[in-house]
Amino acid sequence: MAPPPASIPAPCPHLSSYRSSSRNPFRHLRRSLRVRPLGLPSIRLDPLSHPHCPLCPSSSSSSSQSPLNTSSSSRLLACLSCGQVFCPSHASDHPVSSPGHHISVDLLRAELFCCSCSDQVYDSDFDSTVSIAQSPSFPSSSSSASTSSSPPSSKRRRVDFKQWDPNPSHSQLIRTRSTQLHPDPTSSNNPDLHPWGLRGLNNMGNTCFMNSVLQALLHTPPLRNYFLSDRHNRFLCARRSRKKSANGVDMCLVCDLDQIYSAAFSGDRSPFSPAKFLYSWWRLSSDLASYEQQDAHEFFISILDRIHDNLVEDQKISNNNGQGDCCIAHRIFSGILRSDVTCTYCGFTSTTYDPCIDLSLDLDSTHLTRQTARNGEKETKQKHNQNQSGPTTLMRCLEKFTRPERLDNEQKFYCQKCKERRESLKQMSIRKLPLVLCFHVKRFEHSTIKKTLRKIDSCLQFPFSLDMAAYLSSSVLRSRYGNRLLPVVENGTTEASISSGASSEFEIFAVVTHSGRLDAGHYVTYLRINNSWFKCDDAWVIKVEDSIVRESQAYMLFYVQKVLCYTAGGNTGTSTGTIEPV
Amino acid sequence: MSTSNDGSLTPRSQHASNCFDDLLDSIIADVASECHRIARLGLDRSLEAEEEELRLSQLSDSTRGAAGGEGSSKHGVDIFGQSHPAVASDIFECMNCGRPIVAGRFAPHLEKCMGKGRNARAKATRSTTVTRSRHSRGSPVSVYAPYSTSAQRAPNGTAGGVSEDPSDYNIEEQ
Repeated sequence: MAPPPASIPAPCPHLSSYRSSSRNPFRHLRRSLRVRPLGLPSIRLDPLSHPHCPLCPSSSSSSSQSPLNTSSSSRLLACLSCGQVFCPSHASDHPVSSPGHHISVDLLRAELFCCSCSDQVYDSDFDSTVSIAQSPSFPSSSSSASTSSSPPSSKRRRVDFKQWDPNPSHSQLIRTRSTQLHPDPTSSNNPDLHPWGLRGLNNMGNTCFMNSVLQALLHTPPLRNYFLSDRHNRFLCARRSRKKSANGVDMCLVCDLDQIYSAAFSGDRSPFSPAKFLYSWWRLSSDLASYEQQDAHEFFISILDRIHDNLVEDQKISNNNGQGDCCIAHRIFSGILRSDVTCTYCGFTSTTYDPCIDLSLDLDSTHLTRQTARNGEKETKQKHNQNQSGPTTLMRCLEKFTRPERLDNEQKFYCQKCKERRESLKQMSIRKLPLVLCFHVKRFEHSTIKKTLRKIDSCLQFPFSLDMAAYLSSSVLRSRYGNRLLPVVENGTTEASISSGASSEFEIFAVVTHSGRLDAGHYVTYLRINNSWFKCDDAWVIKVEDSIVRESQAYMLFYVQKVLCYTAGGNTGTSTGTIEPV
Repeated sequence: MSTSNDGSLTPRSQHASNCFDDLLDSIIADVASECHRIARLGLDRSLEAEEEELRLSQLSDSTRGAAGGEGSSKHGVDIFGQSHPAVASDIFECMNCGRPIVAGRFAPHLEKCMGKGRNARAKATRSTTVTRSRHSRGSPVSVYAPYSTSAQRAPNGTAGGVSEDPSDYNIEEQ
């Protein structure tokens, strides 16, 4: 996905005049650009010289070899026109003594500095010169053997969305084979008053974990559309029509889900009991089947796995094409993560790609936590060196997720170039965003002190609109190499071009919250439909204000892409190109 | 640049002090240069979005308490005008044994009904990885679901024995 375009500020008059004065303004710098192991560029004038500012007073020692001679400051600039070296405080003198010499370059950072404006300035030709010098240190897409090789590229071209106009045979089919639901305009069930698909789910005995996830799935737009468009008809399912066998192979969880969608969107507003679904799920996931409070996130993953298993077996297709096309669950939730491990010694980077169906984010537990007055106690825990005020936000968690992390000594990475174990940096980024992003907030953590699991109650702030651009591999890479105006080029192709071209903007539609203690808690889902929020608390569906949602303890957050893009499908029968926009 | 020159400092300490000052200045200049570039090239738009969200949530902070927590739920009516008992009173047939069961007690019934020797095939899938990490008391915990994302940091909340083998959670395993 393309990183957010960097806008080039208009050049100052001095930069403009420098550019116009020479044909290839920055070419001569190429020879002087040196790139350090982690890819950061700098300028070396002469390997043997000791650059210093002649106008700065040198220190007490008169010897030029003395280290104290660097009193001229940490920042040295060199004039692009004559090569004179000076420090920023004496930079403004240079254009006076040498007229027309306005532009200089920061030796250590390879940034342009205008002596007359006394400001750092930017130029795309200069940046591309720097990028070219950096390119040998860009990661090649080598990958380890344990995961998928080479970045899965979406070779399918984008196609424009076409409104579906039913032809006469389609219209007839719909007329004869379906039942239109006629809402009674006078009843309180009128969908003009209440959105379709809103229906309470009965708690069948500690099943709020299941109800909360089901509510989120019921209103996941692509998944809802899949079922409502009859993509999996429970009356025609091949799996179900098989003879009942001992090992439960006839159970089709997807059919049971289809039944729940039908029930939720039927127009009947009395609470529904997803009993058959529970039964099937237990039959298929014997290890998780017990009458106990379960974890909603575990349940969510388990459901997606079961859907995958059911659909892949039935279709007998290979699920290893890296596109996540194997089943509807992966088509919707599967994204690709990129992991770069860089040797700090030589700069060699090893890149791996792994699919993921959600993102588990750490809550910063050392953060300021303030219990709400509701609990009757007010406890403020502050770290003396805390550098963030207020509660954690989702974006900070994402920043933490994509921050370069220094792997500690136990995890020394074997560098293929150095041929030994080195300290390394690891950085995660998102190579491909899924259609629906599910964030899992890790609220349950091991307390090292008490050797028990505890719940982190701190509030997580989350936006209703989310732009994931900054966490994409293209943005992260660009930032790693100094945010130059040209995108990072790997193996001849940019990260930006290997993408499905979808946008990175998301809108929230469901929040699964957990309240209470570890062993006695309750899950509730907030759904956002037509810009109103509804609280789904088992059988109860209530309209609530935005503020209630913002204050809740989010455990799982569901975001859907604002704009859906279409890729050309293999044939019209596949659903690749037919996911309808929200 | 630091120019304080405490007369009692030895020349060696002075060297060290100057070195430190140089390093510190260099680091500050690095950060300033990077931030300047980010700001001038307009790459910090996400900051504005975040500030807006913080502002909105601070607004809701101030209205907290007035709303009385998460809104009345169990006492009034829902949006459809319905009221529901604490234990769901619908009755339907158990698909395992055929008996009529009250909805609100279906799960405990089903557990007994399906029994220990239930027919479900033991699936050696990703879910068993999670089971290994579950507490036997069945509290609503997930330390983390290892296969949900392969982005594993050094976890701060691992129960013992959870595998970090990437192949456990590689969706494309063959």
